[in-house]
Amino acid sequence: MLINEVFDQWLVVAVSLEGTSHQKRNSPCQDAHYWQLAGDRILVAGVADGAGSVTLSEVGSLLAVQTAVKGIASKIVESSLPDSDEAWSALLTSGLNDALLAIKTEAEVRQVNLRELSTTLLIAVATPNIVATIQIGDGAIVIADKNGVAKALTTPPIEESLDLVTFLTSANGIDSAQICLWEGKPAQLAMFSDGLQMLALQMPQGTAHAPFFAPLFRFVSETKDLDLAHQELTEFLRSPRVCDRTDDDLTLLLASLAS
Amino acid sequence: MSLETIEFAENPEPRCPCVLLLDTSGSMSGERIAALNAGLLTFRDDLLQDNLASKRVEVAIVAFDTTVRVEHEFATAENFHPPILTAQEFTHTASGINKALDLLQERKRLYKDNGISYYRPWVFLITDGAPCGEDAYVLTQAAQRVKEEETNKRVAFFAVGVEGADIQALQGLSVRSPIKLKGLNFREMFVWLSASMQRVSHSKPDEMVPLAPVGWGAV
Repeated sequence: MLINEVFDQWLVVAVSLEGTSHQKRNSPCQDAHYWQLAGDRILVAGVADGAGSVTLSEVGSLLAVQTAVKGIASKIVESSLPDSDEAWSALLTSGLNDALLAIKTEAEVRQVNLRELSTTLLIAVATPNIVATIQIGDGAIVIADKNGVAKALTTPPIEESLDLVTFLTSANGIDSAQICLWEGKPAQLAMFSDGLQMLALQMPQGTAHAPFFAPLFRFVSETKDLDLAHQELTEFLRSPRVCDRTDDDLTLLLASLAS
Repeated sequence: MSLETIEFAENPEPRCPCVLLLDTSGSMSGERIAALNAGLLTFRDDLLQDNLASKRVEVAIVAFDTTVRVEHEFATAENFHPPILTAQEFTHTASGINKALDLLQERKRLYKDNGISYYRPWVFLITDGAPCGEDAYVLTQAAQRVKEEETNKRVAFFAVGVEGADIQALQGLSVRSPIKLKGLNFREMFVWLSASMQRVSHSKPDEMVPLAPVGWGAV
């Protein structure tokens, strides 16, 4: 698909890939992403990472991200963008609640423990004047303004140890969600699962690593051909440079708003 | 447009600490201690096969008989040079447990001070007898400490009984069911431990580490 030069909308390139350790163990890609446009220059996007230790996490992650994104997008289409911090929080939280309900229903239908569908969930609503994000568990959401300065809106929470991740399905999951409202004019947005966080963020502070994001944001903002961009991003994530540093499932969603 | 110019953040690898808590009391002497020593070398070699595990898994050895000794400080596989252990005297299991947990606490502090993230540490107790030579309350306290650490998900504590071990006594020490080693299958046991540490160092389970079936022992 070629992009019309005058097309004034969010442009998204997103890839979810199975990590090399999952290939070794023959387990499927447990990451998922989904996005939808909800009006003029309004993007609703999500990333989810299913827990490695459970059987149906690839079902949980996809269901969670689709349900939350669709729910939030349809609410925006039906009414309008929230006009207060509280209203934004309520909108974002409603997406998480919808996702949790869908997962609970799925668990009942399949007659399995809710835990088998454990997943993290990151959602962003990006408009020309505000970016609102919510996140449960690992991964991060990073934005850049038109000067190209990258800033992490959400970061991986600090837990006692790395294997103690909070999930959407955890008892305190939704209560523990990080919410961030960034008022400004976003030029690009990046969302990713934990597979990339050691490469993309400076830990433990969780700040965005500029030399990681600058080329990626330039890449997505200069994209003319979405299929080609998808292929290039996939090749990059499959390259030994990346795979030597992480063997986890990888998801990277990049979006750019033409100005 | 090139993605080749992307540079990565230089973060220290997350660590996955593991304490081998080894019984070197008199009853372990002879072919038992020899098999255990050989098993340690297998463990190192197996960890070295895995690129990420060799960077992330850090192993320490605490040996206990009448005394408790740190036989090896925490080291990644490359720098792990198992000592040749000898067996003698009584079985001060509780003191061994306390030492192992102290060592982990210290290690975690060091990680935190240096901004290194870590996975839940493991203690792997291997013994062939019953605790012997310590007061009962010392044992109760050590068992209580293990229980607290497990409940708070600060440590995963595994107990392996070599033939002749008092499994009931081990049950009292560990929240998880003790595993009874078949014969002197240390080699297989360490291959399993290495595979499990590889899994831990790769994946992100929530509560339970998805462990491979135990072929070398029985629960």
